[in-house]
Amino acid sequence: MSTDSDIIRRSRDSPAVFGELYDRHASVIYRYAARRAGDFAADDVTSETFLVAWEHLKSYDLDRHDARPWLFGIATNLLRRHHRAEAKMLKAAAKASSRESITDDSDRIAAQVDATVATGRIARTLKSMAAIDRETLLLYAWADLTYEGIASAMDVPVGTVRSRLNRARRALRTELNLGLLDETENDHGRLAPAPRNA
Amino acid sequence: MDDLHLLREMRNDIGSAPSATLARGRNTVMTRIDSASRSEATTDTRAPDMVRPIRFRRRVLIASAGAALLVGGIVVADVVRPSGPGATAEAAELLNNAAAATLLTSDPVVGPGQYLKIDTTAVYVASVALGDPGKGGRSVEWLDKSSDQLFIPADHGAEWIWNREARIPTTFFSEEAKAEATKYLSGNPSTGELLRAPGGNFYGGPRLLFAGLPVEEGVKNLPRDPQALLDTIRKRGKQGRPEAETLESIAAALRTGAVPADLRAALYKAAALIPGVTVVDKEANLDGKVGTAIGIDRPDRETRMDIIIDPATGLMIGEREVTLTAGETFPAGTATAWTSVQTSVVNSAP
Repeated sequence: MSTDSDIIRRSRDSPAVFGELYDRHASVIYRYAARRAGDFAADDVTSETFLVAWEHLKSYDLDRHDARPWLFGIATNLLRRHHRAEAKMLKAAAKASSRESITDDSDRIAAQVDATVATGRIARTLKSMAAIDRETLLLYAWADLTYEGIASAMDVPVGTVRSRLNRARRALRTELNLGLLDETENDHGRLAPAPRNA
Repeated sequence: MDDLHLLREMRNDIGSAPSATLARGRNTVMTRIDSASRSEATTDTRAPDMVRPIRFRRRVLIASAGAALLVGGIVVADVVRPSGPGATAEAAELLNNAAAATLLTSDPVVGPGQYLKIDTTAVYVASVALGDPGKGGRSVEWLDKSSDQLFIPADHGAEWIWNREARIPTTFFSEEAKAEATKYLSGNPSTGELLRAPGGNFYGGPRLLFAGLPVEEGVKNLPRDPQALLDTIRKRGKQGRPEAETLESIAAALRTGAVPADLRAALYKAAALIPGVTVVDKEANLDGKVGTAIGIDRPDRETRMDIIIDPATGLMIGEREVTLTAGETFPAGTATAWTSVQTSVVNSAP
């Protein structure tokens, strides 16, 4: 099958081909943006991501077969314009769970309550951490990028990604009373990555 | 529990974008790309005074549609509500009969070495911009058609094959649109692609039933009790979304062609519980196949979402989105997006 870089190469001569890149990745970009800042932001961020990508098509490194890190990098920048929507969402998530945990009735499953309370705590932690740590953490957990992918998306060395992730996860684990992070645990809980360019 | 696991669960109920939203976004992107690449080569030949009346008309149309909806709202409150929750009696009966029929229609059995072949034909809006849309330009729209065939091996972990044919401009509502589509196609020849992926993980992820739910997981875990199923589907969407989106989720699941009879029956029965679902057309023709269309209005988009069922077999023929009001290009009643699906068992794949 054709890789993303094939599509990008062909789009340079034939703009309509660029639509194939949209067809491949728009839905994941949209969902990621909607998860972070709601539908309104997702609508804007998705179209803008592909327009920015189009404008920078010539600078794309054709050796990178998977364009997702690049697209998520653009989307991450664009999402900063919607930081108010994101903050509002996180605030609401933090509030909703504390309300639920008080009015909760006994027949609810304990695990579900735990998850609800955890969501509130996670929301609070995400809101309070540095934007750059939050972006790194969510590119890892919600966009399913690898360390290398995040490094390429954010244009920083892999070591920086690692330290930002550690810092962000340490904050999360403290808030969730989960104890300190063991280095070997880093990939624990991650679903087996889907084959890329299958 | 693990922090990453909990984080991944957070806001995992956010659904994937409605196909209409993505199609609209695609149009925005491609229109701007097209106008940018055209403006490099040519200049805008349209006089601004040709544009203004059209914009004015559009505004008037939206205003009158708003008025009509208001009237519609009053009628609904007066007439439909007393007949109880859920679809109209006629639609509920049809859906429940389809559920019964589909349980009698045996699912295709895929033997070793064979494939379940899912033929899909889809139509959606394509457009080009004439001039700069921000500066008095406008866009010309038509309908593109595309077909694809998905081959699912008997062993779902083995290699799946997906042949996606090129998009072909097919339906025009003006000579101008036809000319623009021809011009566009000659400058940008459309190509298809043949994809292969173990386990059907095309483009790096599994196929979804709807809202971030992979097909296999959904088929295994979704409740078969209609009310519980409806609640689950609603819960996966965002809060307060229009009921048309609930029916859209049901259609999305059915159009995968991978839903077994018991879940199919439950999905029909769940659709019968959605308020506002009515029988729209008993002789609906989709891609040459005739069935009964049941649908629900989507006032915010001025469209109606339909699913078309073969009453004899209870199989879904397809789904469509129909305009309720006339727009700049499409008259009221145009199916601006539709999909028809057919499944069969075959002995070989490309």
